[in-house]
Amino acid sequence: MLQSFFQWMQGLPFSAWMLEETWASPIIQCAHLVALVAFAGAVLVVDMRLLGRGLIKTPLNQLAREMDRWMIWSFVALFVTGAPQVLSTALKQYYSPFFWWKMQIVIIGLLFNFTIRRRVAFAEEGSLGHWPKVVGFLSIGMWTGVSVYARLIGLLS
Amino acid sequence: MRSLFEWVDALPSSIALRESLNAYPTMLTIHVVSMCLFAGLIAYWDMRLVGLTLRKVPVSNIPTRLFPWALTGYGINLITGGLLLYSQPMRYYGNFYFWAKMALMLIAGINMFWFHYATYKSVQAWDQGREIPMNARLAGVVSLVLWAAVVVTGRMMAYSGLMPQWWNNLNIGA
Repeated sequence: MLQSFFQWMQGLPFSAWMLEETWASPIIQCAHLVALVAFAGAVLVVDMRLLGRGLIKTPLNQLAREMDRWMIWSFVALFVTGAPQVLSTALKQYYSPFFWWKMQIVIIGLLFNFTIRRRVAFAEEGSLGHWPKVVGFLSIGMWTGVSVYARLIGLLS
Repeated sequence: MRSLFEWVDALPSSIALRESLNAYPTMLTIHVVSMCLFAGLIAYWDMRLVGLTLRKVPVSNIPTRLFPWALTGYGINLITGGLLLYSQPMRYYGNFYFWAKMALMLIAGINMFWFHYATYKSVQAWDQGREIPMNARLAGVVSLVLWAAVVVTGRMMAYSGLMPQWWNNLNIGA
């Protein structure tokens, strides 16, 4: 069922247009990379603070609230620029293990962010013991994993 | 310059890297991850200068607290980038986007030094305030645009078929 869905995506006129239009893929890939940098920065500023590094003179919840919108909007940009790439190379993605590993970590990362990470980052500082460090470490690990698998889809699939 | 690239291209260690199955994907993946560390943090520093974010954070806090991490990312980025170039020098020699990226990095570096040694000296006067001097804002905008362009040209290096016609006419890679 999933395979036929990916075959359907690959057969869409938009996918054909993406593949035929010389500049479509490069422009979208470049925009995706710029969005990735914005997303990574927003995640790192808070995660480093969770780890007790970075902007330690600024209250954690203030920093987390400020970076939250940058993280959300850059993720939206990542999705908007990522979806056309998946559509146009749907079968390549379907047969790549890295694509599925990436998507699994993206979903876990999003759930983790909107539940545990957000709760820890917005909580009163010093009330959660070592949990902020654990959360910061896991968050950096997950999003690094997403970047690694994303890069490997193009290189090893 | 061409003979230097050709000389590197023929070195046994360059050939070994080029022929290794795992070296290129490993180096490129580390290059992208370290780019996220460097460019991601620099982007928010630039946006602080422009006044787009982190406005309650004193300006001087950011270089002190974030630059060591950003520079670590930059160092890893330079090493992996250097190794990528070392492994396939002739692939990059004729690539317009490679030279454009190098030029943009040079200009971004000049902008950074100019800002550090000119505008940033007076940071105590505008450290806490919401009003950032025009010179600092301008340096932030220029830096944002330049580093975004570095990222874009870096990605475009893979598209050797999409180089400007005037560049192709120069026959540099032939």
